[in-house]
Amino acid sequence: MKKTVTVLSIAALAATAAGCGGGSDAGSSSSPAPSSATAATSGPKPELRQLNQFDRYDATKEAPAKWITERTGYTVKYDLLPAENADEKLNLLMANKEPYDLMKLNKNQFSKLVSSGALEPLDDLIAKYGKNLKQAIAPESWEAVKVNGKIYAIPEASSGNLVNFELAVRQDILDELGLKVPTTRDELYTVLKTIKEKKGIIPLTGGKDPFIGDIASTFGLSTQWEDNGGTLRNYVENPAMKEYLTFMNKLYKEGLMDPEWGINTGAKAIEKLSSGKAAMYRVAYYDGGNLNNALLKNFPNAKMTLIPFLKDANGKNKVVATTGVSWFISIPKFAPHKDDALKLIDAKLEKDTFKGLAIGQEGVHHEVKDGKYYPIQPKFADEWANASAFVTGVDQNVYPTYWQARVRKDPYVQSYFETIQENAKPALVIDPLTFAPPLDNISKNSQKLAKLVEDSFLKFISGSEPMSNYDAFVANWKAQGGDEMTKEANDWYKANKK
Amino acid sequence: MAQTESVTRPPASARPSGIRTSLGEKIFSFLNYTLFVFLALITIFPFLNLLAKSMSGEAAVVSGKVTLYPIDFQLGTYLYVMKDDMFLNSLKVSVMVTVIGTALALFMTALAAYPLSKPRLRGRKGFILMYIFTMLFSGGLVPTYLLMQNLHLVNKMPVLFLPAMISVFNMLIIKNYFESLPDSLEESAKLDGASNLAILFRITVPLSMPVFATIALFYAVHFWNDFFTSMIYINDPKLKPMQLYLKELLVSSSDSFLQENKNPDSALNATPQSIQAASILLATIPIVVVYPFLQKYFVKGVLVGSVKE
Repeated sequence: MKKTVTVLSIAALAATAAGCGGGSDAGSSSSPAPSSATAATSGPKPELRQLNQFDRYDATKEAPAKWITERTGYTVKYDLLPAENADEKLNLLMANKEPYDLMKLNKNQFSKLVSSGALEPLDDLIAKYGKNLKQAIAPESWEAVKVNGKIYAIPEASSGNLVNFELAVRQDILDELGLKVPTTRDELYTVLKTIKEKKGIIPLTGGKDPFIGDIASTFGLSTQWEDNGGTLRNYVENPAMKEYLTFMNKLYKEGLMDPEWGINTGAKAIEKLSSGKAAMYRVAYYDGGNLNNALLKNFPNAKMTLIPFLKDANGKNKVVATTGVSWFISIPKFAPHKDDALKLIDAKLEKDTFKGLAIGQEGVHHEVKDGKYYPIQPKFADEWANASAFVTGVDQNVYPTYWQARVRKDPYVQSYFETIQENAKPALVIDPLTFAPPLDNISKNSQKLAKLVEDSFLKFISGSEPMSNYDAFVANWKAQGGDEMTKEANDWYKANKK
Repeated sequence: MAQTESVTRPPASARPSGIRTSLGEKIFSFLNYTLFVFLALITIFPFLNLLAKSMSGEAAVVSGKVTLYPIDFQLGTYLYVMKDDMFLNSLKVSVMVTVIGTALALFMTALAAYPLSKPRLRGRKGFILMYIFTMLFSGGLVPTYLLMQNLHLVNKMPVLFLPAMISVFNMLIIKNYFESLPDSLEESAKLDGASNLAILFRITVPLSMPVFATIALFYAVHFWNDFFTSMIYINDPKLKPMQLYLKELLVSSSDSFLQENKNPDSALNATPQSIQAASILLATIPIVVVYPFLQKYFVKGVLVGSVKE
């Protein structure tokens, strides 16, 4: 076993050297490399090993994986991190120098591995082999993967500036009570109040998340970090947060929001809404299908309306879009085939290869109608549902349009997705730290502090903690790492602000 | 009236004659039975709920209407799960690990227990202490992982049962059972000229079926339910056992996973609740079915008449 690996890597090295020198295939004659891999380009190609994030698929049976081999000539063996304790497992694998050639990491994992020195700087490799990479990936995405001036990952950008949630309300209940879709906070309050009085059901349900962007933006709150006169400030320090929580506490006290808010799951909230026990919910577009199908089954005349994002007193609003770099494709220091790994990443971004990888073949997996990509079911769901897992870096010019084929799998999901994006468009804001490289103190503290914020906010909203304790909470937040985060965020922000 | 009385009254032989059941006793038995039937029903309620969910339309499940009986009856979920390659494969892995693991583990455990049950073994106390030491202290996760790695067991099927061959607790149970067997049986066999191995396999083993059945059940349930080992050592999707498959199925549709993961694709591919329910049931049934088959070994009094003292 060991021997074949050594032979393989020697053959690979020879092949790479030969490839650079101008295409003699001296190395291939003695090489036991898999013959299927050699078809596409000259020289034998080693089998590469890639570590992926958890998802539910068997990579050996996945059509996108076969597509990659067919187009690039590389066979890749995929391992997946587990669904839970993924970070511990990753540490084990790294401690053991598991010979992966490339790894698809999230921001926290990337940040940890960079600071522990486990990752290979990629600048030279990109300069040598990254022909497609340079075209496909936008400059601001590269900023997110630079540590001390060196690139440590290929940034895989998210599928565009996306807004996932918007408040939705039972239109049939509004009609019955003679109410209009609310456009401001006061109107929202009146609607909730009237529903409570006349119908006796839960006016606003939701799960866990105490920060309802639709309502918070009427107080001027939006992203977690915001530019306050040139300095970054976390939203917990924004005085408006107190007003927002006071308002939410009022809703809670008056029974206008779900008393089980703190323990609801998303599924539970949808259950309440679709069984007629609640009237309003901040729905995610991907739940649109489930919600409407269940609701119509129970109430054939029911209709959900998405409430356009509420406006503040000055008629303004802000909607937070998620964007930035979702995945970091890194090559570990001890990878046996670094050159090939980068060649593979680059080859996958060749125009036609990338399109096929993202959405399959036209006429088989997808079709084009009015310039939009639609999935052909069930072929798309059967073969291409997990394709995103095999993507390592996206062509940012085209990926959002390809990706949207995925939301067109269900007419409700599609219409929710499109309506929400449409409503949000004029008011989109993104977090100023979106394209920041990993910042140690933020990676270290953000999860812990997010939990603290969520728990405390839920207590303020439910009134089990009086609002007068808010300043004590902020002091606690700062002491537990908030100050560290703010300082580091500002150091980066001031150095990089244009 | 008289008829019901005769039904509730236990057979005459079981009770001393002349004592009649009083009204109070009858009420007590009635309440007693009701209470315990009720408690028994509580334990099967989650199964009934899952069964109902797995056979209901997804819309009814999503809106939380399904409790004990299916609404919009369908069986498509079961067809879907049983056609799922990953489910079938994990079922195969689990069955293999459970069968091979249980057989080997029982064999090894019994072999370890037998000498330790004989007082004439020199250094017996020391050996037992060494076993007990491993019950109390272990090397920790990372060293154990590195050990498995060096033994080339990571990502191989044997890692799912080899490290668990001897559970010291089970070994002690078998040892105590062996000790409870009368010495005179061994002596009489020796007089008949039986070798040590013959005594073990022809006298001790046949007499120990009840304890073997118990321990086999312990091992089988352990191997079937274990997901942690596979979570740590297995990356290859082809080697994932049932419980890991189930765990991943449920976790991948949970709020916390979708929020942490922030990957819209996971949310778009989430598994419907009715299919989750069908998967859980299909994964649970095989091990539940094992119990009745082992029942016949739990027979009392096999020793009756073997020794006369």
